[in-house]
Amino acid sequence: MKANPREVLTGVYYIDGDVASGFGALAAGCKFIGGYPITPSTEAAEAFARVAPKAGAVFIQMEDELGSMAAVVGAVWSGVKSMTITSGPGYSLMQENIGFGAMLETPFVLLNIQRGGPSTGVPTKTGQADMMQSRWGSHGDYEVIAISPDSPQEMFDYTVKAFNLAEKYRCPVMIMSDECVGHMTEKVVIPSASEIEIEPRRLYTGPPAEYMPYKPDEDLVPKMAKAGDGFNLYISGSVHNEKGYPVTVDEYKSVYVRRLVDKIRRNKDKIIELKEEATDDAEVIVVSYGISSRVAIKGIEIARERGIKVGNLRLVTVWPFPDEKVTQLAKKTKAFVVPEINYGQIVFEVSRCSHGHANVVLVPHGGAGVHVPDDIADAIEYAAKEDQKIETVVEFKTRLERTVFEGGHKLKE
Amino acid sequence: MKAIITAFAQGIKKSGVSPAAISMPSDIPFKPEAIRELGVDFFQTTRGRPIAFGTGLKLGNPALKVMPVVGDLMTLGGNHFVHGGRRNMELLVICVNNFVYKRIAGKPTPSAGAAFSPYSTFEEPFNFPHLGNSCGAVYTARWTALHTEQLADSIAEALHKNGLSMIEILAPGPNYYTDITEITPDILNFYFENSTVKDGEDPRNVGITPDENIIVGKFTSKERPTFIDQYNAQHGKMLGDKFIPHGYVPTAGESGGKHA
Repeated sequence: MKANPREVLTGVYYIDGDVASGFGALAAGCKFIGGYPITPSTEAAEAFARVAPKAGAVFIQMEDELGSMAAVVGAVWSGVKSMTITSGPGYSLMQENIGFGAMLETPFVLLNIQRGGPSTGVPTKTGQADMMQSRWGSHGDYEVIAISPDSPQEMFDYTVKAFNLAEKYRCPVMIMSDECVGHMTEKVVIPSASEIEIEPRRLYTGPPAEYMPYKPDEDLVPKMAKAGDGFNLYISGSVHNEKGYPVTVDEYKSVYVRRLVDKIRRNKDKIIELKEEATDDAEVIVVSYGISSRVAIKGIEIARERGIKVGNLRLVTVWPFPDEKVTQLAKKTKAFVVPEINYGQIVFEVSRCSHGHANVVLVPHGGAGVHVPDDIADAIEYAAKEDQKIETVVEFKTRLERTVFEGGHKLKE
Repeated sequence: MKAIITAFAQGIKKSGVSPAAISMPSDIPFKPEAIRELGVDFFQTTRGRPIAFGTGLKLGNPALKVMPVVGDLMTLGGNHFVHGGRRNMELLVICVNNFVYKRIAGKPTPSAGAAFSPYSTFEEPFNFPHLGNSCGAVYTARWTALHTEQLADSIAEALHKNGLSMIEILAPGPNYYTDITEITPDILNFYFENSTVKDGEDPRNVGITPDENIIVGKFTSKERPTFIDQYNAQHGKMLGDKFIPHGYVPTAGESGGKHA
């Protein structure tokens, strides 16, 4: 189905990633955002709050992020598409109800404009250190989808896509952006409504008395109903059977939780989006996502000027992780170089999937800034020259780390 | 539990609201399967969050009557209640208080079961109706689980209030407590017999103390603009014709509403 023209702000804009995402949510048919403002994500909520009342959508500033996430799950069950927006400490508070939403198979979108952490960290500067939290943040077994845009245009495009994926697989979809992309201002083209494809909710249409809220279709995703439509719903965050009733029997638990993870794992080929370039005969492949994938382009360029064959694998979808793709590339390349704004998160996934076929080099960054492209180029050069198989992930020492920790450099007071 | 569900059923029937239009988010301890007999949509949410979840339900579909049933209301969910009252979100908050009266063995507070306080409790409990009224609730009442008829009347009345209403139900939950203390289902009678009905009592005076009878009754009922009223008024003022008022679409069996 196509987007509603009332909700699509068709035009050419010069806006930042946060605002583009807010406009993307509206275009995707989002009718409710419950959030609590937090730097550097606030502009996204502001953008939505400004346009929502003119398009029949609602923004509410909740009392906290616990309430925001709970309200979003509630709004989805009332029948509308919903989202929340946060960063850093807010993301931590939301984890409780992210797991709750996943357990109820609630389609919702969460925009995380990552900032430096831990704790209050560096509120106004960038980071990519919530990547594992997005996958494992709430307790128990569940799967989410996480997307990492790298430009304001992608913030619009992938916000729409995030809503579509959420509806299709009835799971939380995280837009794992960061301060740099969120506050980056570029040209954004919002197409006409007829050019935007929208995934409608998978609503059950049979007789209410026969409705089984958790009876899956062939693709393992059940059909949904909404409150107020006479279905006499019993929806529970406890492990439940197909009717929705809580059960404690072991087999139900294994069957139910199994499906909760399998509906993503078995459909991952349809979910995962990658951007791959020159990997066929590459000596070294750079694996990156979000803002780091844009910085990596320059690093790759410098390394190519030095005569190294470098391939580029950009993870647009970070979760589910493209295991098979990385394994396949590991067999034909010498090494992977992974620049990320943290001290090692996705690099360990790359390492896991390499199965010892290729060396894996991390280019770390502590946050509050992005990589120096030369560091990525140097790491590529090192990886190309290294002839020994190294069993563990190699942490490449960047210029900053060398100056601070080895050069006897005194930190600026 | 049975007594409460019976009162729910009677209250909903008396109100004339179609059960299909009612959504009932609860928190973890309150998940009786018998609730399905009411014909409502039931959601067992996370501890303390039914009011926040209900806020999403109400704003997603203003035609719904949302009736959060909370146990951990004033501990985990206190902040949601406080702000729900301030906004006057249209919710009928049912606080099932399983506080065990201090005269009784065990003596736990609402937030600590008997097993957690082997040496008795010493913390002052909340006066829920006073707290609710102070935060802006448009309706406050308290009944024991055995005041079935009055409780049903309160539910029927509160379902038609515009804004956040709260009804506290004193229900020690004998199923739970009899397992771990010497409390028997007689405790329901104990509450009933040691309570005094004082309709219209100032909520400031209804705190539960060990040495006095429990005051029950319908304490307050007032009118305030709801969140959706204020949302529509403010945005209408700022945006004029460009504003699409937040709608009220009556669901099947519902008699319509003031936002129609």
